Amino acid sequence: MIKTFTQDDLIRYIYQETTPEESIEIETALIFDEQLSETYNNLSGTVESLKAVKLKPSEDTIDKILSYSKSYDLHALR
Amino acid sequence: MRKYAVSDSQLISQYKNGNEEAFAELVNRHKNKIYTTIYLIVKDQFLAEDLLQETYVKVVNTIKSGRYNEEGKFLPWVTRIAHNLAIDHFRKAKRYPMIVMEDGSNIFNTLEFSEDSIESRQIQQDTHALLRDLIKELPDSQREVLMMRHYMQMSFQEIAEATDVSINTALGRMRYALINLRKKMNKLNIAYDQNLYPR
Repeated sequence: MIKTFTQDDLIRYIYQETTPEESIEIETALIFDEQLSETYNNLSGTVESLKAVKLKPSEDTIDKILSYSKSYDLHALR
Repeated sequence: MRKYAVSDSQLISQYKNGNEEAFAELVNRHKNKIYTTIYLIVKDQFLAEDLLQETYVKVVNTIKSGRYNEEGKFLPWVTRIAHNLAIDHFRKAKRYPMIVMEDGSNIFNTLEFSEDSIESRQIQQDTHALLRDLIKELPDSQREVLMMRHYMQMSFQEIAEATDVSINTALGRMRYALINLRKKMNKLNIAYDQNLYPR
């Protein structure tokens, strides 16, 4: 018998927080349950989109961070 | 999650032994994720850059003084520092972030691209900027869970403990965040496209 899964179960699955046994059960349910599969596609598509939202700080800021680390001993001695 | 040949904890060990190159690798490895987390809270590029520096000053001070004890969990630890600093900033200013639709044009200059044509870059820039705005429009409780899970890589159990709610509430907030984002994306006709979001 195929178990019923909720959207919260799918979210845990997408973020790899399900047990191996749960993952297999969800993957099986996704094959047979069209509505679950559609919900999964929507949720995972949105999560994939989120992965694209990344910004990059300026090189100047990174240089200042690295300089601070290199001169830490000087700060610490003060 | 991406696998690296040298793990974060190995880099930290090398850094503790005085290897500044290891620290540079750590900073460069995670800078975009941490900066994005801060930016999505403070919504100001210059402030986000300042807070990123403050975050790493704390990181350097903690590691170099021998007080770092979260081996293997570097990114969640740093992101938590960044998140707290960003939230503290608003507490000090006695205001919580409001929805601000900035034009974001200066941020476009710092985005990383993996596609070549000017046209595809422009589409990517516009789409990413829209997505950022959509995340900023989410209710605070939903945006918080989304950022903790997605950018800080905290588990739902850890989020539940950090925000003092049940794991079901944390999952529910994440669900609403994703559903709301999807609805907003559909409204604006933003589709998930493998070409726009290369892995």
